[in-house]
Amino acid sequence: MIGELERQGLGNDFPGDQEPPRLRRAPSRASDRNYPRYDWSADPAEEEDGAGNAEAPPEIRTLPWPMERKRAVRQVQQMRAHVSFGAESWRRNKTKSLRKLQQNVREFLYFFSLWRKSLQKIGGNFGGGVKSYFVFLRFLVVLNFVSFLLIAGFVIAPSLVRRSAGTGGFVNSTDKESCLVYDPNPQGLVVFYEFFLHLLSGTGFMEDSFMFYGYYNNNTAVEDGSLSYNIPLAYLFTAAFYFAFCLCCIIARMGTAARVAVATGGRAIGNYSLIVFTGWDYGCLGDRATKLKQKNIYYRLQVDLEEERIKKRAASLTPWRKVALYTLRVLMFLIALGLIGTAFYGIFEATKFSQENGDRFGILGLFIEYLPSIVITTGNFLVPLLCDQIALLEKYSPSITVVVALLRAVVLRLVSLGILLFTLWSQITCSGDLEKEDCGNCSYNNKKYQCWETSVGQEMYKLTLFDLLVTIALLVLVEFPRRMVVDNWSSKLSQLVGRQEFVVPSNVLGLVYGQTVVWTGALFCPLLPLINTIKFVILFYCKKITLFCNCRPALKTFRSTTSTFFFLVVLLFGWGLALVAMIYSLAVIHPSYACGPFRFFTTMWAIVPNSFYSLSEVTQEFLFFIGSQAFSIPLFALSCVVMCYFIALASIYGRSVAMLKAQLKLEGQDKQFLVKQIEKMKRNNI
Amino acid sequence: MGSTSSQLDKDALSEYQELTFLTKQEIILAHERFSAMLPQEYKGATNIRLPMEKILEMPELKSNPFNKRICHVFSTSQPNDGSLTFEDFLDLLSAFSEAATMEIKSHYAFRIFDSDNDGTLGREDLEKMVTLLTGDSKDTSLNGEEMGQLINNILEESDIDKDGTVNLSEFQHVISRSPDFVSSFKIVL
Repeated sequence: MIGELERQGLGNDFPGDQEPPRLRRAPSRASDRNYPRYDWSADPAEEEDGAGNAEAPPEIRTLPWPMERKRAVRQVQQMRAHVSFGAESWRRNKTKSLRKLQQNVREFLYFFSLWRKSLQKIGGNFGGGVKSYFVFLRFLVVLNFVSFLLIAGFVIAPSLVRRSAGTGGFVNSTDKESCLVYDPNPQGLVVFYEFFLHLLSGTGFMEDSFMFYGYYNNNTAVEDGSLSYNIPLAYLFTAAFYFAFCLCCIIARMGTAARVAVATGGRAIGNYSLIVFTGWDYGCLGDRATKLKQKNIYYRLQVDLEEERIKKRAASLTPWRKVALYTLRVLMFLIALGLIGTAFYGIFEATKFSQENGDRFGILGLFIEYLPSIVITTGNFLVPLLCDQIALLEKYSPSITVVVALLRAVVLRLVSLGILLFTLWSQITCSGDLEKEDCGNCSYNNKKYQCWETSVGQEMYKLTLFDLLVTIALLVLVEFPRRMVVDNWSSKLSQLVGRQEFVVPSNVLGLVYGQTVVWTGALFCPLLPLINTIKFVILFYCKKITLFCNCRPALKTFRSTTSTFFFLVVLLFGWGLALVAMIYSLAVIHPSYACGPFRFFTTMWAIVPNSFYSLSEVTQEFLFFIGSQAFSIPLFALSCVVMCYFIALASIYGRSVAMLKAQLKLEGQDKQFLVKQIEKMKRNNI
Repeated sequence: MGSTSSQLDKDALSEYQELTFLTKQEIILAHERFSAMLPQEYKGATNIRLPMEKILEMPELKSNPFNKRICHVFSTSQPNDGSLTFEDFLDLLSAFSEAATMEIKSHYAFRIFDSDNDGTLGREDLEKMVTLLTGDSKDTSLNGEEMGQLINNILEESDIDKDGTVNLSEFQHVISRSPDFVSSFKIVL
């Protein structure tokens, strides 16, 4: 089938001497290769040029030909474009200008790509898995910054204007006078170190600022003309839109990763081919990284080959040993559950204690205030370590071990945050029982919290700050000394411990935890996204420094694309948790009487129906129609139909792929049969 | 550095933008790097071929185990000696760029792995490829039995028509199932 085809020779040393593309040269005898050389230029795309112009010609740069050939094809295309008229050429021009536009947009965005060079360096030296962590971090920085701009534009700026314009809030006469007592910033002689205490715990001068919910007013800003800006409504809608916006960003980013993850499907098949064909990372720079990558690939191949041999040789386990293994696994699972449960109980107790004794002064008071953060961080640090030891006993296969460890860590982190929120809620609303004496007056615990939203915001602020401080402290006090000990003091212990590895999953979970805290707190502390942006930027540089100075590249690497999808799924869980907290605060708990833009409403959401009736008649009727059954049921039915269509389409594609594969196999067999027939006939003829 | 005398003109720049996947900045950077490697007396001349040894001094290609194969694949010289003109160099960067499609990357990956240029990956091609991947040193090379087992496994997984070799379509089929290929088949200056 593939005879002695000569390779088309194109491009030579003489400037300006170009050969027309279809001229074939005599086989060069100077070639020292005796194999039949495949003619890569006889591409099926060639025939398309001659065939009818049924579809748009393929983009030239997607053709795998040398530059000379592409240039010649382009000239032919341009000549043809000049000749053809009408709709054809219009369509071609449109696609061309669209492509040019896409290219210009891409080049424009190239400038704004943050930290591009750093990411390239990280990927070249440490691999795709570590790089995916930093890409995720960059995504979160951009998300937080854009959210901050949103909040600043719609809430903070109008409030600033309103404040400078004049009067404070007016008071409706009610009988809830005891609920109106609120003094966030007692003036008086302030000791110097109290400034730092206030800074770290969000009280005092920080409480009485744009930082927290309590500072905002509930009146609508009225300008001289008819311009009115309903600040409470803006506050509510901005918070809701912020959540929706984050959800869209995450889903959009998941879209590309999901498409790849779904298309690849069954991972077990084609394992060896995948490692060998796609294993090499062409971005590897330098001898050290190259040797490491080679070792890595060798290690993976060895492990797979070894496992296969063991599986072939090993007899099946006797039933008794199977039972023993399964009981061991169940026991270990219960132990892990117990550990996690202990951590949760610890957080619950710590939060209750901290809220009850929160009015001490000085360093002790600061310590008590930060107690929930300390317990959460310690739990998040210790429990995964212990679970890792448990996993050693469980003897799952390596991939399952990684997934199980990650799941445990995710559950630990997110649920511990949930426990913290639950404890706060039970303190604020007296565990839901509004008839208790503390809550009876104002329908929230007025004795402890004159302004409960600000307290929740402060708690989230403290969590964020503590997270950053712990990371920097770990960097300075643990990672740098470890490297110095390992490098300069050669002993068995230091060789056993070695330089640390950059463990991607636990670092990513730290990011998800931090982002979830910010989402929960954004309703109560509008400046929190800005603080988080700054925190993540500092984190980027700290982690980069520790990566290059203290870490050695890991031998077992972390897959980059499926893991990006996993990170985004976990981020979505965090988003869901924050959403639940926000909806509950909006819809159920009574806002504080003494502070904030929602005083004198029964719930925060109540402002929407109130303002609704101030809209025009037509708008009201339109919105009623959208909410009514006459609209939503047909919409629901339509989306069901569309979803069924896509599911059917996907299953059809899967089936046609399987069918085509079977067909290919058949054709291969046919080809071999025919070749054998030819040989037989040749032999008979001789 | 000779950059003023050997600058690209606008027409050539837009033509290269259309014919490759590179952005304007990338083409200009490639031109600077290529000119920097030219010997002094040839600076400013066009259509000059750089010998393979010079190209392999670039840090991006220096330690890559496939560097010689890459130069041979993209070279358009008559006795295929791996020397590259500037346009070959642009073709190389375009195939390895961020924006290149999966089809182009898998096509060129196949050609890089096909050491004997016969259009399919036979057992010798696969063996050479695995040796390059794992390195030549004693503690990272597979012994004969392991190599045989590995090649058998690879052929069993990817050779759909059972002819003992992996052709381009079978290769592309395997590649399409890898989510990491497009991001790892990348060389950026």
